[in-house]
Amino acid sequence: MTLQSEAVHRLVLGAVGVGLFLAIWQVIGTYRLAGMTWPPLTDVLAFIADPSKQGLFVRAMLASFASVALGYVVGILSGVAAAMLGQVLPIMRPGLDRLVAVIHAVPLVALAPVFMVLANRDLTPPAISALGVFYMIYVATTSGLKAASHTHRDLFTALGSSPTSRFLRLELPAALPALVSGMKLAIPVAFIGTIVGEWFGASRGLGLLMVSAMQNFQIPLLWSAVLIVTTASLALFGLMSLFERLVYGRFQ
Amino acid sequence: MSGVRTFISHYWGVLGILLLWQAWVSISGLNAIVLPSPLSVVADLVANPAIYAGNAGKTFLVAVLGLAFGLLAGVLLSLAAWTSRLLNGLLTPLGLIFSSIPVVALIPILARLLGYDMRTEIAIVAVAAFFPTFVFVGAGLKSRPPGSDDLFNVLGATPWQRLLRLVMPAAVPNMMVALRLTAPEAVLAAILAELLMGTSGLGFMFREAAGRFAMERAFGTSIIATITAVIVFGLFMAAERRVDALWK
Repeated sequence: MTLQSEAVHRLVLGAVGVGLFLAIWQVIGTYRLAGMTWPPLTDVLAFIADPSKQGLFVRAMLASFASVALGYVVGILSGVAAAMLGQVLPIMRPGLDRLVAVIHAVPLVALAPVFMVLANRDLTPPAISALGVFYMIYVATTSGLKAASHTHRDLFTALGSSPTSRFLRLELPAALPALVSGMKLAIPVAFIGTIVGEWFGASRGLGLLMVSAMQNFQIPLLWSAVLIVTTASLALFGLMSLFERLVYGRFQ
Repeated sequence: MSGVRTFISHYWGVLGILLLWQAWVSISGLNAIVLPSPLSVVADLVANPAIYAGNAGKTFLVAVLGLAFGLLAGVLLSLAAWTSRLLNGLLTPLGLIFSSIPVVALIPILARLLGYDMRTEIAIVAVAAFFPTFVFVGAGLKSRPPGSDDLFNVLGATPWQRLLRLVMPAAVPNMMVALRLTAPEAVLAAILAELLMGTSGLGFMFREAAGRFAMERAFGTSIIATITAVIVFGLFMAAERRVDALWK
């Protein structure tokens, strides 16, 4: 009972906090407390809802979200595959770890020139997303694959299971919670990759919209594009948090 | 001999990529404007040390100053949240929300709000570092050794003594973790801010090189940016180790 009321209390306070934040945003914008470049929240929302802007936003969203999705999926698949390779062929492991560490050390923006020459300009955003996601997923999966306890491993071996069935029935399920946590943390990374890639010269997308709006003083457009990106990223992050809770309940 | 073997087992991936790069350039016979070879990139690095060092130094300064301000703000706000349950309830969810959005998306807004100069770049890095610090330090303030609260009660500590001698020291290791984790993002944010505003620093070099298709310069900047990021990360990792050794 007290635990429940504590949770309700926290939820209400949190909602009030977010409400206050939005109200302060509105007040600063209405009274121009931060100058002309801070519009009220209602202006931004009205700008997004304006039917004459719909085509612009839908085109940019389709391009950006397609990049995010492509980068996310490719990053997850290659990250899991690399982690599994390291698990199945332990001799590859040290080299893989170093390679992944080097990839992570390179700031995402530093990879942009590489993709600009290797790939089509419109493939740069998903490629940068995929690399960021790959790192997250590789780290999460390798740490997850270590999660199975030695006792369980010994039990499987004693009962005469093959390495393949041990992998499928013990190590993989044990790695799922860590993998799902990695997938959750990879969502903002996928968005960052796409935005950075678009800044480096894509032909359409929300990142491009942001930069051109910034340079041309189109203030409502700038805030709208940023609001759309952050809201989309947050919504997916929230969904993954729920999924994460489900998986932790089932597999841990 | 075994040294060579260890080296190959650790670096086969990295070496493979470098070889692929050189092979791709040699075999496909691409024009240097499109894809420079590793050798020509090194040549550009060696020929223009001043340009690279100056801009890298400036980016390094922006990243470290921004991290310092972000850390300070994060610690102050998490202390404020610690003193009041109400503030804590109001601020913690906001902090969590902001630390899980793609923070680079805020760069154009901040640039427009604050104007195109170096202070804005520092502010951008500070914002990127602030939210994770707030969340981590907030968690650290709550994770005190079991029984220590009772001990302070029994010994009759004042609230100030409790804050200075128990709560703040308990949060220091978390603060160092937050710094290490935000360091790579801080370098990225600094470079992106420079790229968008085109003032100076490594981000500006990217923009300038890409604009005139000087691919040697662009790749050289990538290498220097990576080294800068590694140095910043290494500095904070060393600081974290030092603090951990003193603290535990």
